[in-house]
Amino acid sequence: MAEVRVAREIRPPEPPPEASQLGFVVWLRKNLFNSPFNSVLTVIGLVGVFFGARSGLAFLLADERRWSVIPPNATNYAVEAYLRDSLERIWISVAIVAVLAGLSTSIWRPTGKTSWGKVVAGLRGFGAAALVLGFLTPGGFGPRNLIMIVGAAMIIATAVALRRLRERAKVETIPTLAVLSAAIVVVLAVIWAMPIASSTQIPWTVMLVTGVVAYLLGRLVVARSSLRVLKTAVVAAWVLSLPVIYMTVQRGPIIPWDRVGSWLPGIAAVTIIGLGAIRLVTRLDRERAALVNAALLAASIGVWFVSIPMIVRFLMIAATVFSLAAPTFAASSRGARNFSIGWVAIVLFITYFVTMSLTSRGLETRVELLGGMNVTFLLAIGGMLLSFPLGIMLALGRTSTMPVFRLMSTGYIEVVRGVPLITVLFFGDKVVPRFLPPGLDFEGVVKAVMVIALFSAAYLAENVRGGLQSVSSGQREAARALGMTTGQMTMLITLPQALRAVIPALVGQVISLFKDTSLVAIIGLADFFRVARDIVPNQPVSLGSVIENLVLAAVVYWVFTFSFSRASLRLERRLGVGTR
Amino acid sequence: MSIVAPQTKPPIWRNGTVLKWAAQIGVFAGVAALGWILVSTAMANMRAQGVSFDWEFLTDPPGIQLAEGIFTRPASGLEVFATGIVNMLRITVSGIVAATFLGVVIGISRLSSNWLLSKLSTFFIETIRNIPLLVQIVFWFFLCSLFFPALNGVDAGPIPGWLVVTRKGISLPWIFPQQTFWQWLVFVAAGVVAARWMVRRRVRQLEETGQNTHPGRYGFLVFVAFAAVGWWAHPLAGALGWVWQLLAGIVATVPLIGWQLVLGGAAVFLAARWIFRFLDSRRTPAGLARLTDDDYFRMFLAGALGLIGAGVFLLVPGLTDLIARVTEFVLRFFDAKFDFLRTGAPLALGRPSIVTPGRFPQIGPTGMTLTPAFFGVWVGVTLYTAAFIAEIVRGGILAVSRGQTEAGLALGLKRGRLLRMIVLPQAFRIILPPMGNQYLNLAKNTSLGIAVAYAEPIQVGQTLFNQTGDTIQVFVLWMAFYLAVSLVLSSIVNWYNRKLALVER
Amino acid sequence: MENGKKDIIVCEGVKKWFGDFQALRGVTTTVAEGEVVVVIGPSGSGKSTFIRCINRLEVHQEGRIIVDGIELTSDVRNVEKIRSEVGMVFQQFNLFPHLTVLQNITLAQTWVRKRTRADAEAKAQALLERVGIPEQAAKYPGQLSGGQQQRVAIARALAMDPKVMLFDEPTSALDPEMIKEVLDVMKELAHTGMTIVAVTHEMGFAREVADRVSFFDQGQIIEEGTPEHFFTDPQHDRTKLFLSQIL
Repeated sequence: MAEVRVAREIRPPEPPPEASQLGFVVWLRKNLFNSPFNSVLTVIGLVGVFFGARSGLAFLLADERRWSVIPPNATNYAVEAYLRDSLERIWISVAIVAVLAGLSTSIWRPTGKTSWGKVVAGLRGFGAAALVLGFLTPGGFGPRNLIMIVGAAMIIATAVALRRLRERAKVETIPTLAVLSAAIVVVLAVIWAMPIASSTQIPWTVMLVTGVVAYLLGRLVVARSSLRVLKTAVVAAWVLSLPVIYMTVQRGPIIPWDRVGSWLPGIAAVTIIGLGAIRLVTRLDRERAALVNAALLAASIGVWFVSIPMIVRFLMIAATVFSLAAPTFAASSRGARNFSIGWVAIVLFITYFVTMSLTSRGLETRVELLGGMNVTFLLAIGGMLLSFPLGIMLALGRTSTMPVFRLMSTGYIEVVRGVPLITVLFFGDKVVPRFLPPGLDFEGVVKAVMVIALFSAAYLAENVRGGLQSVSSGQREAARALGMTTGQMTMLITLPQALRAVIPALVGQVISLFKDTSLVAIIGLADFFRVARDIVPNQPVSLGSVIENLVLAAVVYWVFTFSFSRASLRLERRLGVGTR
Repeated sequence: MSIVAPQTKPPIWRNGTVLKWAAQIGVFAGVAALGWILVSTAMANMRAQGVSFDWEFLTDPPGIQLAEGIFTRPASGLEVFATGIVNMLRITVSGIVAATFLGVVIGISRLSSNWLLSKLSTFFIETIRNIPLLVQIVFWFFLCSLFFPALNGVDAGPIPGWLVVTRKGISLPWIFPQQTFWQWLVFVAAGVVAARWMVRRRVRQLEETGQNTHPGRYGFLVFVAFAAVGWWAHPLAGALGWVWQLLAGIVATVPLIGWQLVLGGAAVFLAARWIFRFLDSRRTPAGLARLTDDDYFRMFLAGALGLIGAGVFLLVPGLTDLIARVTEFVLRFFDAKFDFLRTGAPLALGRPSIVTPGRFPQIGPTGMTLTPAFFGVWVGVTLYTAAFIAEIVRGGILAVSRGQTEAGLALGLKRGRLLRMIVLPQAFRIILPPMGNQYLNLAKNTSLGIAVAYAEPIQVGQTLFNQTGDTIQVFVLWMAFYLAVSLVLSSIVNWYNRKLALVER
Repeated sequence: MENGKKDIIVCEGVKKWFGDFQALRGVTTTVAEGEVVVVIGPSGSGKSTFIRCINRLEVHQEGRIIVDGIELTSDVRNVEKIRSEVGMVFQQFNLFPHLTVLQNITLAQTWVRKRTRADAEAKAQALLERVGIPEQAAKYPGQLSGGQQQRVAIARALAMDPKVMLFDEPTSALDPEMIKEVLDVMKELAHTGMTIVAVTHEMGFAREVADRVSFFDQGQIIEEGTPEHFFTDPQHDRTKLFLSQIL
């Protein structure tokens, strides 16, 4: 039949056909009018967008809207009723964050790069949005035309820039960090240029300088010391910064030195006991180590029955926990050294925390000092930090082979997931005081942090459980075959893999926790949302500006959650979560 | 070679099973002890404040009024909660339907090849998802109560007499159940059962003879027949009223201690049954299998839990009292709905009207009126849930393997049909479990209605405990209610999920 | 072309890129009515991409493909027409798991060919008979073995009365003992005069039933010829190397 045909040579690969400069008309036909049905949808959509956006904008920009009352209330949104003559405490706490952020950037060195093409395309999108918004805004001349002109100018400028850049537009040369810094500088310039928050011009500039200085210092330190130690230290500093900030904002720095002095012998004794226990437990065989632990446990219960400073009792419990955990974490001599350092750090921190807690307030005013965005942040960050360990513990309990732990964890998780957050908040607000001895109660914010953490932990636990189930049983068998104990297997093999597998779900949980903090407004805490809903619209200057404030609240929450979810998407893509 | 060393049991402190169980029992005892300390503190506190832990407030007149619902002037605490629950269910059920529809449409639109449609859907999802629901609910509430047209006279609304949209609420025409509705409902329920039986019968015939016996059509006809007969014959169902009355009487006359004994006995019985079933499952044809230490601990635990349950019922009369009161309330409620002498159509159409009782016009009670609070909560939870459902639908469609689409295309199926017949049915199985979670979230999120004073269980509960101070009791009721809702919703989803499961080898 | 038979598939300089990678570097070939063409080649040589281009599951960027006198362009109606005339069998079967075997086969008949349900079911039953599994009609794909699933997939494609059948490595996902039952069905099909283009690694099948063997490498046809020529007297060095590695 067919004759034999042989190719003389193998052709070399050719470059793909030059994507013909997609003409606007071609693009329209391909994306908007590619079938009769789609054409109808497009027309309906365009008409809908036009009238919907137009009436929405008309509503938001109507003459009755008093947007000018928002800027004068900036301090209220940020801190609500916090003493105006103590605002420097807030700035100190911001400075702590700025320093840590600067240090972290210098240590982790975000390596992401972006291309001129993307930056310019972003600007073009901005311009297009301005043009469309200006076009849709009803009304005559005035700012609307200015916006449209700026938008059109941006579109033209970016088009020219893209044409000029040509090939270079694709090359990723600009560090993301530079783009971010530029954005921060722009924001700062806006604060200086516009009368939005004039009282914060200088502090914010100082904060930026602090952050930059911290970054440069960090670079210096990184150059001449071990990165691993630095990373651990900075992570620890972040975790500890939260209570430190809380104490800075809420407590006066009047420390009762005489009392602290009387504690010192006890603290020193427990520190040494802890160090000795860690050393013994890591060197002795299992049974003797168990004896040491049992002795510590007995001692930590015993101290509650003798008259001894409260702090020593807490420290004894901490020592027991450290000693129990030592075989898992401090098996190598290096590990034992780091573990001992960690123990001393914890002793110092507990001492600080207990001292500050027992210090008189020093700030003479109402019970609830915190308010506004501060409370929202405190609830979100505190809730997140506390809920993580708890959630992991619950997940481990639920997947445990021991029925009682499984039953208790499952019961807790299902009950908490079955009820709305508001019932749990009411539980903390109204029911918990009934179960505590008279006179003992926590501050509302602290209670809300704990309740939100307890609530979120149940959801986190379910996510972590999903991760634990995704770790193949082969991993566990391999760990067992290497002679690991259950604790080592969990901490070193299963959990790291499980957590990595569910990063997206965990981020989603953190985002929903942030949104959920707005519920504390219902039980009367003065968080950002309550300030916007009740407090500002009842100020004489801004009386009745309800809709303006609600829109502001929506925008503020949106900016935070949206940028957080975008950042996490980038992180996921970098880590290759879900693909490996 | 044989083993020479004698088999030894490890010493007790190295015996894995003993250690495991000692740890569990220890922790459990610790938690129980903590619970006991807290409870006794609470009891001491209440004694000190002169408050007693009882359920009197459930039957006593509460002295409060509710903004909307079935009992706006409730005669008892139970009526207060019933109103809140019905209000909550109104939003939950209608919200689930609307959010599902909207979410599916938006989820599919986001995958559309139409650029504008897909961008608009993305915009909707990203906007709604990233703003706290509470902010949205409050926003819609204020939008309605501050910016809708004012109610000026009898000719209010876009369509007077049919649709009224004002600052005081939105009123629609609606089919209202009348006082004979519940009697008719009995016939409808019987119709469902009969239709089911008919469908099965016709399907069996179909399988035997191979002819199409139209099971669906016959089932539907049977159902319609029952509903139609019931429309006029419903007074017959009034006989059920005696049954409810009798049951309610029994619940009311048996003394509390009797119910305590019954419930306590039930707890012990359940535990005993579990133990016997467990023993049965360990029985092999050769006789009872050797039980491990673990098995003994399990049985011990089950027995202990049963005894603790019985102890709680016997020692805390309040709990039994609560159960008895709620049961009696439900039975009396049904009793009131049935009567031989009632006549008239079970359903009737009502249209919006405007009344002017005093100087100011108000929306009359004849139409289905949605208050601004209802509007705020409903729009808020529906849009919010729809955004999440849209993402789930999109994920489900993307999760159907590419090969399925290719196989359909290779057969020459058109895009739309491919989506409907191949992709969506498979996506549905993937979508269902997370969708169930969203429904659950919607049900729980209605509790945010408290922020706009919508009379749902949390809001009415708060009003109630502000009045009576029975915080713990109200909290127990909240927990019981929401857990029951979760349980019912998740069992429906699980049942459906099992039904849909793909047949595998 | 020979024996007065017309060409049912004509490809001219077909080129296709995935991003910067060129998968097809200009494929030119024709398939006559009733001809059985077996496409072989190392993995990544573009043979699957080529066969998927024929019913436009992949879109080619340059060159022309004409199937049964209709050119494949972005015209939707042409594409649907061709797809209903060209049957395709996939490596992973791609049966619809939520439908029974019978429904899998009748679905496209009713919706694309607009047959009555009775006709479609009769046709399906006859085809199941032909592929040797009439008793499995009421089962779901998940209950069948791989070989049975692939035979259902063949029946599903045949039910549309296609003029051409495309096989994309139909036996690669099967256990060894199931390969034969699928190959038997394919052989029977070839003997009835169906036009077949098959990508496969089964050299026995190629030798026995192919009219022509096309050898793909680096996105183009390196060598084409009758099985005797091809297996006994390969011309190109690449072909020789490939054959020495697999035979």
